[in-house]
Amino acid sequence: MIEARGVATVVIGLVRPHMESSKPPRGLWVPFPLGRPLGEPEDKTFQHRVLGAALALLARDAGPVVLEDFPEDAPSMRDQPGWQPQMVVPEFVTPAATDVKAWMSGLETELASVLPHWSAATHRFGRTTVGISRVAPSDWAAFAVRFLDGSVPESPIGGLSSAVVMRYIADDMKALYMEAVQAIGPQPSSGQINRWFWNHTLAAELLCALRAAALASTHTGFNTAGSRFLAPAPFVTKA
Amino acid sequence: MARIEDIPLGTREAVVGLDCPPPTTFPWVRTRPLAQSRIAILTSAALHRRSEMPFPVGTTEHRELPATFPASDMLMSHISINFDRAGFQRDINVAYPIDRLKELAAEGVIGSVAETHYSVMGSTDPATMVQTADALAGSLHQDKVDVVLLCPV
Repeated sequence: MIEARGVATVVIGLVRPHMESSKPPRGLWVPFPLGRPLGEPEDKTFQHRVLGAALALLARDAGPVVLEDFPEDAPSMRDQPGWQPQMVVPEFVTPAATDVKAWMSGLETELASVLPHWSAATHRFGRTTVGISRVAPSDWAAFAVRFLDGSVPESPIGGLSSAVVMRYIADDMKALYMEAVQAIGPQPSSGQINRWFWNHTLAAELLCALRAAALASTHTGFNTAGSRFLAPAPFVTKA
Repeated sequence: MARIEDIPLGTREAVVGLDCPPPTTFPWVRTRPLAQSRIAILTSAALHRRSEMPFPVGTTEHRELPATFPASDMLMSHISINFDRAGFQRDINVAYPIDRLKELAAEGVIGSVAETHYSVMGSTDPATMVQTADALAGSLHQDKVDVVLLCPV
C-alpha cells in the first residue's frame, strides 16, 4: 500500500507463506520467533546483520517482487541448556475456581516474591512494558478474581470496558512475571520463559481459571476477551 | 520459531491459515542510494506512548512515534497473545530497530532517520486500511522519507 503511494518499502517478515502470497516489493524472510523480526535482543551486531540484509534489497533492480531468506538462526531461538529461573515462587495449591479468598491470598504471596525481581529487571533493562491496564499491580488480583464466578464488575478505568481491563491486567501480569524472570542470568529462550510462567505460577493458573469462567459466561465482552486473549493456544489445555 | 515447524501447534494453524490475498498491482519505486536515503519505520506491533490509551481491537488508526521518543515510555498493546514479548521486554530494537537505524545514520550507511515513525495494530484487516495508507503516505512525503522499513511482529 505504501509503495503504491510513491515511497519505497522493505519488509522484514516472519511468516514466509504470508510473504509468498502477499508479495511485498522487497521482503527479507527471517526464521525467528514471532514477535522478534530483528531476531536477537541486546545483540547489536546480529540486529545489524538482519537490518543490513533487508536494506541491501533496496539496491536490487529485479522487481517487482524480491523475496530473500536470512540465512542465520538467532542464538536465543533455542533453549538455553540448563537454564533455571533464578527467581523462586512459593509452592501453591491451585484453589477451587470460586474460592476468592484462597486466590487472593496465594496471588498476594506470589506477587510479593516476584516484585523484587521485577524491580531488578526494570533496572537492568532501563524500562518496563507493564502499564497498559492502568491498574496498579497491588490491585490486579482483587479485580480479576471477581470474574471467577462469572460476574462482570464495573470497570475501574474510564473509556475501557471491565472485560478489556481484565484482559489488559492479564497482559500486564504476564509482562511483569516474564520481565522478572529475566532479571538475572543468561537469556532464556522464549519457550523456556513461557513454559516457566504457564507451568509454575499461580498467576498463570488464575488466567486459565478466568478463561474457563469466560467460556461459561453469557456476557459477550467477557466471553470474547477471556476465552481468546488470556492464555495462548499452546497452553489453553490447562483451562 | 517462525519456521512453520517451530510455531507451537496451537498457534500454527491460525498463523498459516491467515488469509493473505495476492496483490492486484505490483508497484516498484526506484529509490536513491542507501547513503542518501531517509528511512522511517512502520511497525504493526501496536506501539504507543504510555500516556495514550491502548490500540482498540480492529482499529485502522495509526500512531506517531517520534524518533526521540524514549523506550521507557513505550508500551505494546497488540491484541494477539500468540507472539513473543520477552524479546521486546529486553530490547525494543528486536521489534522496532530505531537505535540500529540511528547508528547506521551516524556511520553514513543511510542518509538519515525520519523524524517520525509509525505504529498500527497488526491484526486489523489491511483491506480496511486504505485511508490509513493515504494518511501515512502524506506524512512520509512531508518528512521527505525515501524508504519505509516494515517490521511486522
